[in-house]
Amino acid sequence: MTGIKIGQYVHGDSFLHSLDPRIKIICCIVIMVSVLINYSWYYLLFHLLLIIMAIKASGLSFRFMSGCLRSIRYLLLVTFVLQIFLTPGEAVLSLGRISISQEGLLIASINLLRLLILFFGSLLLIMTTSPIKLSAGIEFLLLPLNKLNIPVHHFTTILSISFRFIPTLIEEATIIKNAQRSRGAQFDSPNLIVRLKSYMAIIIPLFEASLLRAEELGEAMDSRCYTGHPNQLRMSSLKLMGKDLVLLGFMFLVLGIGISISLGSS
Amino acid sequence: MPKIIDVKELDFIYMPGSPYEQNALKNISFSLDEGEFLGIFGPNGSGKSTLVQLFNGLLSPGRGTVTVCDTDTADKKLRQQLWKKVSLVFQYPEQQIFQISVYDEVAYGPRNLGISETEVRQRVYLALEQVGLIPEETIGVTPISLSGGMRRRVAIAGMLALNPEILVMDEPMAGLDPIGRKLILDIINNRKEHKLTSVMTSHNLKEIIAIADKIAIMDSGCLVFFGAVSELLENNNILAKYRLELPDHIQLLSALAERGLKVNTNIRSLNEAALEILRLLA
Repeated sequence: MTGIKIGQYVHGDSFLHSLDPRIKIICCIVIMVSVLINYSWYYLLFHLLLIIMAIKASGLSFRFMSGCLRSIRYLLLVTFVLQIFLTPGEAVLSLGRISISQEGLLIASINLLRLLILFFGSLLLIMTTSPIKLSAGIEFLLLPLNKLNIPVHHFTTILSISFRFIPTLIEEATIIKNAQRSRGAQFDSPNLIVRLKSYMAIIIPLFEASLLRAEELGEAMDSRCYTGHPNQLRMSSLKLMGKDLVLLGFMFLVLGIGISISLGSS
Repeated sequence: MPKIIDVKELDFIYMPGSPYEQNALKNISFSLDEGEFLGIFGPNGSGKSTLVQLFNGLLSPGRGTVTVCDTDTADKKLRQQLWKKVSLVFQYPEQQIFQISVYDEVAYGPRNLGISETEVRQRVYLALEQVGLIPEETIGVTPISLSGGMRRRVAIAGMLALNPEILVMDEPMAGLDPIGRKLILDIINNRKEHKLTSVMTSHNLKEIIAIADKIAIMDSGCLVFFGAVSELLENNNILAKYRLELPDHIQLLSALAERGLKVNTNIRSLNEAALEILRLLA
């Protein structure tokens, strides 16, 4: 319990918290599609502005959200560096045989912006939607697959159990890490091999504990006569409000504009 | 007597500035002499585990100071080296086992100290003997094949092998059978004989009252009592409020004293109580 973990649901009563989970999931997908089909600067910057407004409306601190970028810093760095060097075009800077092209800089910046929008969009979804609401939303949206004989309720049960145990696993990993640190495990060693070996001292007991827990949970579910069936009670608790529909309409409008701009430019 | 643990006006807050902010420790001050055994009591969530994690530098004090073995735990570099002097046995320590053999598991800590393999071997053998295991029979065994109680012994041996100046155990008796519980008490008694400091959190006052030097009682992050066992036995308010159950022989002596008999109530062990009653009968 040392701080809020990235991706952990943060309890609150903000505007974003009060939205219907189905709408939040759809909006998140709409944002993903929007930023992938249209890569014009102003369109992406508009989305970034939307994300900033969403962070404000979520009640989460900007400092914490920007701190989350640390976890994907290498992905961002590698994406940016590879694209500025590997995209052919008019060279703006040459370092021996390799050169940075103007097109590379542009594409790298656009892709960086896209990644940031996708990252913060999904982060806001999972940090403002409780695991129960999230799995109910997913179950509702996947219901049509039942007609194809795909057992959606089993899938969502697995999903909700996973969501339920994420905080437990994080807490357990923290305890094991502290226990190994008390025996001199060097998680901060500058030597990568030493660091990797130290992390093995967390991964092995954590796996063992997870497997044991899975077995115990299975037995507990069996002993309470668990049979897979759609969770009607959970799904019937979902209620669409006016603000949900307004937001959904707005996001589809933004998507529509994006598609028409893309079609127009091509 | 030099102070081995010195806590002054300590506050500790989990997740400060977040919706989950929790003030785990509030204005705690006490000190412990070298060679003493401190028992920490309190209900679940009272802050016992947080407090002991400050002793070996896993947490840093929010406000106030925690000085352990002359090391100020606010200093990050010094704090990170404190594991060499203070061993912390977590709750259910058997969950941290990850090596393929008992020998490697117990040797993990000493090897991290950077000592020679010969000395590591000596320490492993000694630590296994201290927890009642026969080294020759157990060193090659895979820990996962052992029972829960045996695995806990192995985990505790892993901490004893570090030869700590202070041994801190966080509810080590939870889920142990009577033999395992006695073993924990034997380990602490052995350390007391060698003038080594130990700290233990527990829910059961009965079990450690006979050997504890100091008792700390915590409630909702506050230290509501700190002092010698004799002071606690005289403090009926604290005993009643926290429903601290005393051993039967101490309760008997108190009851006799309440009925006006001249009996020494400052007695802790069963043998001493038996002698006192015999004296009274004579």
